[in-house]
Amino acid sequence: MVEAVRTDALYKRFGQQVAVAGVDLVVPAGSFAGLVGPNGAGKTTTLSMITGLLRPDGGLAEIGGFNVWRDPVQVKARIGVLPEGLRLFERLSGRELLHYNGRLRGIPKADVEQRAEELLRVMDLVKSADKLVVDYSTGMRKKIGLAAALLHNPDVLFLDEPFEGVDPVSANTLTEVLRRYTASGSTVIFSSHVMDLVERLCDWVSVMSGGHIVAQGALDEVRAGRTLNQAFLELVGGSRGSGDEGLSWLGAKAEDGR
Amino acid sequence: MSLGAGQTARLFAQLKIQLIAGNLRGDATRKLGFVFTLLAASVIAAGGFLLMTLIRLAPADVAADIGVVAFTVLLVGWAVVPLLAFGLDDTLDPSRLSLFPLSTRELAIGLFTSSATGVWPLATLVVTAGAIVGLAGGAGGILLGVLAVLLQFALCLVVSRLVTTSLSGALRSRRGRDLMAVAVVFVVLLAQLPNLIVNRGVGDLPAMLAATADVLRWTPPGLAAHAIADGGLAGLADLAVVALVVLLAGWLWIKALARALVTSDASTQAASVRRSSGLAERFLPDGPLAAVVAKEFKYIRRDPRFRVGWFAAIVVTVVLGFSLSGTGDSGLSGPPLVIGLTAMGALMISLQSGNSFGIDGRSLWMNAVVFGSERDLRTDLAGRHLATASLAVPLLGLLAIALGLFAGDLAAGVPAMLAAWGLLGVGLGVGAVTSVVVPYTVPERLNAFTGAAPGQGGLAFAGSFGAMIGTGLLGVPLVLPVLLGLTWVSAVAVPYGLLVAWGGRRLAGSIGYPRLPDLLAAVSKST
Repeated sequence: MVEAVRTDALYKRFGQQVAVAGVDLVVPAGSFAGLVGPNGAGKTTTLSMITGLLRPDGGLAEIGGFNVWRDPVQVKARIGVLPEGLRLFERLSGRELLHYNGRLRGIPKADVEQRAEELLRVMDLVKSADKLVVDYSTGMRKKIGLAAALLHNPDVLFLDEPFEGVDPVSANTLTEVLRRYTASGSTVIFSSHVMDLVERLCDWVSVMSGGHIVAQGALDEVRAGRTLNQAFLELVGGSRGSGDEGLSWLGAKAEDGR
Repeated sequence: MSLGAGQTARLFAQLKIQLIAGNLRGDATRKLGFVFTLLAASVIAAGGFLLMTLIRLAPADVAADIGVVAFTVLLVGWAVVPLLAFGLDDTLDPSRLSLFPLSTRELAIGLFTSSATGVWPLATLVVTAGAIVGLAGGAGGILLGVLAVLLQFALCLVVSRLVTTSLSGALRSRRGRDLMAVAVVFVVLLAQLPNLIVNRGVGDLPAMLAATADVLRWTPPGLAAHAIADGGLAGLADLAVVALVVLLAGWLWIKALARALVTSDASTQAASVRRSSGLAERFLPDGPLAAVVAKEFKYIRRDPRFRVGWFAAIVVTVVLGFSLSGTGDSGLSGPPLVIGLTAMGALMISLQSGNSFGIDGRSLWMNAVVFGSERDLRTDLAGRHLATASLAVPLLGLLAIALGLFAGDLAAGVPAMLAAWGLLGVGLGVGAVTSVVVPYTVPERLNAFTGAAPGQGGLAFAGSFGAMIGTGLLGVPLVLPVLLGLTWVSAVAVPYGLLVAWGGRRLAGSIGYPRLPDLLAAVSKST
């Protein structure tokens, strides 16, 4: 198995709080990998450290065999990133954003322009290409962000919650593009807490909880005959009864009018 | 079941106090900021009260005039300041409350109470109350005074509410906020006006006061102030009018509120931008440098924060020019004026580059995932410098020529121009270093009171102060000889400036690149 991404005891602390407590993430090359976990499990922190945006307090991160913090030139040429929150250069238009990104990476102008037009067409953004990113909707922002991340044809793509707040039509476009991309042998790693989506798209799953990886492997191994949702709830200890205790008033019809 | 007026008022007052308290929890810098606000408000309240009472020492008619002007200034302040600081107060935006089952009446009472609760409203009330001591002449005056002060206070609150509510739609749209951000500059300029007038020695003050008060006397705050001074039947009539105005403003506000709550913002219907390949594309070789320069040009044109920065730099230079050249014999004139002012302009423009990455803010990650070496960061800085310089160089040239013509010494324009260009280079070089040593977040929406994210005020101060000191120290050997008449020194100004800028970028690259993640964190603070 060729590893696209490997981390070894990756560790990060913010003040008193340990956000990532020794993560050993492994993702085989060419896989469509899902990083799942409840809110606050450390997914975003882990992805930020792997992509060189946040300095880890300890541990090792490698992409394609290159150390993220020692060989940044090699690593940064090989990865595409779509971080959480998605702050882009808001005062550029979608097209200008793609041009800026490509040329900042030293790709010749003619190539950048050609790739940008194709990406805009595939992402269904041609009509809004000359509008400022600050006026884009969430779905459009994710699409232009993904286009910017794909422009330099990276080997590994990191996406933090790429489908959050995206309408079904845009989500479909995103998944189609990503499927085509992995079919060519490239790797996608995305974080999510929508289990159905992960189950549908991924062939590799890493489950995070409380700053640790609690399960990792091929999708069928991890879910072991259950649905991924069931497996996930058991792994992170999320099934705490059905919630019948208390809340007896909820759903009861009010009698005094208000 | 609906709440009574008293209950609603109490509920909203509690809500506001909880909001203030909640804002303070945990964060030491915010606590410090609040203590500072509290101190400032107390000082202003006490000082304002004292000043108002001191009006008593003036002759009766002058006192009344001062009262009229003071009341009007207070009202205008209440109408304008919340607009510029929209977002300082969570209760200000009524759309946050639109999902609660509140009737418009409850909402109006509630929002009125919450705007009356707080440090600044209390300070206003205290200052206004000072007018009773300052203006009232007798029992009738005191009685009417209490009423007038309460009415004036209510007027301030209701008008302030009316203005923010009727503009809240515009304030929520991107274009409206962009416009507001630039409007800040005009307020700063307006604040300079009295200073300018006094410096130019225009007119005599008492006559101006009388003329102003004559007009303002018939505005609602003027009527309220007049009522206190009058203390008789005419005063009572004055107050009746003020009360009517308060009611009318209140009614208009409730109408505006009802409309604002069901009107969506139209900010997504945006216009397209022109597709253009600018100067940078034509003259620069293809590559990262050209990309950065092109992006910077677009940002200078499109981001209100850049517009504010450039505009402020020019305005400050012009205002300084008027102040310095103004007062006849004591003012500067001749070559020192031309050289000094042009250099000041260069300093003002270059100071904007003291926090180069601040405006990029959270989007800086797009650069951070690309930059794999110090050289990449240096290229980024060089692109920013090139963009700034290609605007500043012609601008400073024009300024030098204009000042030369103004001072009647066109020959002084040449050394002034060269020295200013050199100083610009020095400023950019120093700014590159401060940009990576003390980076801070520039808030998306500037308001007139802060230029940094909460808790980073000290950093911002250190950054701009450091940039100013550094530019000063490195610039003095350049500007001072020229200023003293050794104009030949200006010949080496441009090479010297280029050298410092280059050195600054080198230093910034080697300091900044290893700190890139920290830099990213520092400019990505939530605002």
